[in-house]
Amino acid sequence: MKRTPIVLGGTIAGLVGVLMFRTTPSQSSFTTIPGASAASGPSATPAASASASARAGSANKASATKASGKSGKAGSTRTATGSAVNYSWGILSVKVTVSGKKITNVAIASLDDGGNPRSQMIDQQSVPILEQETLQAQSASIQGVSGASYTSQGFEQSLQSALQTLGV
Amino acid sequence: MPPAHPIHHLEDVMGTIVTIDVYSTAEVTGSELDVLHGQLARARAVLHHADEVFSTWQPHSPVSRLRRGEISLDQAPLEVAEVLRHCAAARELSHGWFDPWAMPGGADPTGYVKGWAAQRALAAFSAETISGAIVNAAGDIASFGGLGDAQPFRIGIADPAAPRRLAAVIELTGAIATSGSYERGNHLIDPHSGEAISRAASASVTGPDLGLADALATALAVAGEPGLALIEPLDGYEALVIGFDGGKRWTERFPMQ
Repeated sequence: MKRTPIVLGGTIAGLVGVLMFRTTPSQSSFTTIPGASAASGPSATPAASASASARAGSANKASATKASGKSGKAGSTRTATGSAVNYSWGILSVKVTVSGKKITNVAIASLDDGGNPRSQMIDQQSVPILEQETLQAQSASIQGVSGASYTSQGFEQSLQSALQTLGV
Repeated sequence: MPPAHPIHHLEDVMGTIVTIDVYSTAEVTGSELDVLHGQLARARAVLHHADEVFSTWQPHSPVSRLRRGEISLDQAPLEVAEVLRHCAAARELSHGWFDPWAMPGGADPTGYVKGWAAQRALAAFSAETISGAIVNAAGDIASFGGLGDAQPFRIGIADPAAPRRLAAVIELTGAIATSGSYERGNHLIDPHSGEAISRAASASVTGPDLGLADALATALAVAGEPGLALIEPLDGYEALVIGFDGGKRWTERFPMQ
């Protein structure tokens, strides 16, 4: 799984874009295309994971343009774990907590990067950045975080499926 | 009026994600925005160039070849000698707690290069047209200016016990680097013993230059709280150490809120 995460930057930018978009009060929530973001299990080949990323890209576009009438109960706190997603460096899933429609917490629920030191280092540096970006996209009070260094494209896919489960 | 945020860019480089943000007091449009995008392109090129020269992951990078003894320092790009000079200065300032020459496998300036490259990338932007800019290399942050209207940048410091939470928020002038054992597992090496160890859960250093701040933060994470005494006399540099019990100690002028 030592592939260059070429779509990573774009995916994160897409994530932040989607989250920024989500927080606009006049917008209603989004749906993802069911199944589009979930990849197969640990035996998936790099080619399969690459096509999953490509599909996720199109799913994100769809979610950014397609608003649904679903809405969460205002003020209630709920948590869901997204589907396990195969990405360039391994398999991960994301757990998200929302209060009403606001994301209050997002974290990695599971992460298997196969123990490769290179992928572990990428994970450790990039995952917290995605977590921060997710929360920061909803909070303008700080401009950055020092010291959290863990990321991945699968993060967004799993996050989207968790949000879908919550109807956010 | 909220500050304008004409650039928010994420770059996949140096084995991590580097975010570049530019703020201004008014919306930036037309040719001024084109100028900003030109500066962004230069900043990105600086980061990729540093990656090509200094990567210890790429077997054919000049630093990898230097470490294997295939080329001499004279044959490496000029920046390599420059960075090693800075590393030697940081080793001295930190009383040997930061020592790229004590790393297994030959001199490894990685602990300095990320901050050094981010600081150089920041220099692509000019304070003339914008209120401030931030280059954040996986939590090591170089900045100048602020949000505009005398509002400084506010930066969170990750809680080492729960990296998603914040242990502190500071008003930042210049750079901040944070180092800790949670970052890459317990991979910090005590240069004095050669063993993997750290005596603080995390250490943050603020100052004018991110390269040096990064090196000093690494040194402090290994040295622990007693290391604060090394930072106190350094002009312009301040530090915060968070212990494994969550306790915080900082130098006199560290910008705690």
